[in-house]
Amino acid sequence: MSEVDSKFNIRDYLREHMFPHFLCPGCGHGIALRALLWAIDELEIPKDKLAFVSGIGCSGRLGAYIDSNTFHVTHGRPLAFATGLKLARPDLEVIVITGDGDCLAIGGNHLIHACRRNLNITCMMLNNEVYGMTGGQVSPTTSSNRFTTTTPHGNYEPVFDACKLAEAAGAGMVGREITLQTPALKNVLKEGLSHNGFSFVEVMSDCTEVFGRKNELGDSAEMVLTQKSSVRPDGYDNTVEQPFRPNFLKTGVMARNDRPEYAAAYRQHIMSMKEG
Amino acid sequence: MMTELNQASSKNAQPVAQTQVAKVPVNVLIVGVGGQGVIMVSKVLASLCQQQGYEVKQSEVHGMAKRGGSVFSHVRFGEKVYSPTIPVGQADVLVALEWAEGLRWLPYLKPETGIFIADTQKIVPPFACRDRKHGAANGYAKETVADISQMISNCYAADAGTTAAELGNARAANTLLLGMLSTTLDFPESEWRDIISKFVPPKTIDINMQAFDQGREWVERYDPAALAQGQAEAGSVAQQPHQVQFELPVITEAWCKSCDICVKFCPERCLSLNENQVAELTKPELCTLCRICERLCPDFAISLNYKH
Repeated sequence: MSEVDSKFNIRDYLREHMFPHFLCPGCGHGIALRALLWAIDELEIPKDKLAFVSGIGCSGRLGAYIDSNTFHVTHGRPLAFATGLKLARPDLEVIVITGDGDCLAIGGNHLIHACRRNLNITCMMLNNEVYGMTGGQVSPTTSSNRFTTTTPHGNYEPVFDACKLAEAAGAGMVGREITLQTPALKNVLKEGLSHNGFSFVEVMSDCTEVFGRKNELGDSAEMVLTQKSSVRPDGYDNTVEQPFRPNFLKTGVMARNDRPEYAAAYRQHIMSMKEG
Repeated sequence: MMTELNQASSKNAQPVAQTQVAKVPVNVLIVGVGGQGVIMVSKVLASLCQQQGYEVKQSEVHGMAKRGGSVFSHVRFGEKVYSPTIPVGQADVLVALEWAEGLRWLPYLKPETGIFIADTQKIVPPFACRDRKHGAANGYAKETVADISQMISNCYAADAGTTAAELGNARAANTLLLGMLSTTLDFPESEWRDIISKFVPPKTIDINMQAFDQGREWVERYDPAALAQGQAEAGSVAQQPHQVQFELPVITEAWCKSCDICVKFCPERCLSLNENQVAELTKPELCTLCRICERLCPDFAISLNYKH
């Protein structure tokens, strides 16, 4: 069944009494949330077998709108909470919704170790290049020369490539997609959810009110459309001999490894100790 | 001299030309859509002719490959060839890798004696899709194989694309057409096989040889009467009908934050913001149910419900 024929109705998965949600007009996080729920719908995971863990920030609030088991935890620690949750309840499909500041700055250490352990968790990192909720401070993923409230003359810090970090730390699956390509994003998330191991998906979202306004990136529709010209789709390297967009961000499933999943190995160890 | 030979050929599947070395060049026009392999087919033919000791001139239009545009290649061979291009109405054989492209170039075919070899697969160009509604009529050529075979005595129209796909590689359709072409030109069959093996990727030689056989068999089975009655219809366009029917977008006004994304992304411009700055479906008759607005609405305010 093609995407146009999909029977997915997002309202089956939302706490409708909490709507309209708190996100600014045109914020890409909503589209990312739709893609995540769409992926879950297609995989037919029952709602009571899901657990969403989210941190602090605009992305962290998304968990509150999902009609399922949701945890809103301390800043930067959703992966730490998720690790404990997954070890205690391996039957749950644990999904972490986190932002670029939450995941890479405050919770950077947790990300590395979650990747290293390779627990069966899906981590969706919404990258909008800025700390939107607290007023637009510079984040580890802010592009160079971008203006934020803490970089009034432009950002001079080098940018963090979260996908390369996750890949190097040993994540089971690493992917990246933009919100404009919602069906593609859904497919990457689906890959992540069905992968047995830590899957890290970076979603290139947009912050229109804070980041877009300060950098004069146009209205929300323009910002969503610009995403397309800033990435290099999956498979591009194979079709063109000399890519003429070598410096653009690659999208699609970027890395995969089949290291043993931690929770299973951990359980096995416990069982062997009990028997011994 | 050529006229005599061609008249002989028009009876049925006789070699067009060069039983004696042709004083007048033999003209083969190969047409198709960019990316199909027009250049490959013409290269195979040109090198074969060269090997057989003819003078060959080839002229082509390429570079449309990435755009799905019209691509053609003129191949002329004979004892002495002066001009590389074929004048209108002078092509002995017209090889069309796509049905509508073949129709486009029909005036180049020699009246009465020309042989038309076509793949009936259809590639609908974007500009023929005048209405974006799913399943809507498009501006693609309406002529069927039966229509054309009434106009041309030698109309070899096979669904090469499907046959090749059944063999395991859709791209072998070109070789199937080469198989058909090989029956119209008087070159030894083994030479054809040798030269095709050199041009196709080594892994696909087996499939291509099977396709070549199928092409030759097709011409042996060729029955103009059956074609004229429309028994072999043109290949159908691969388009799945909608399985689920949807209703028009419903907008939850309380959830809309007037971000304008749906208005600007709608391909048919059927949404707009009303006086309360809330998205509204102002031209429902234009809506094609593409669901872009639903997908890109960050506030989940737009939904398309399916009809039960």
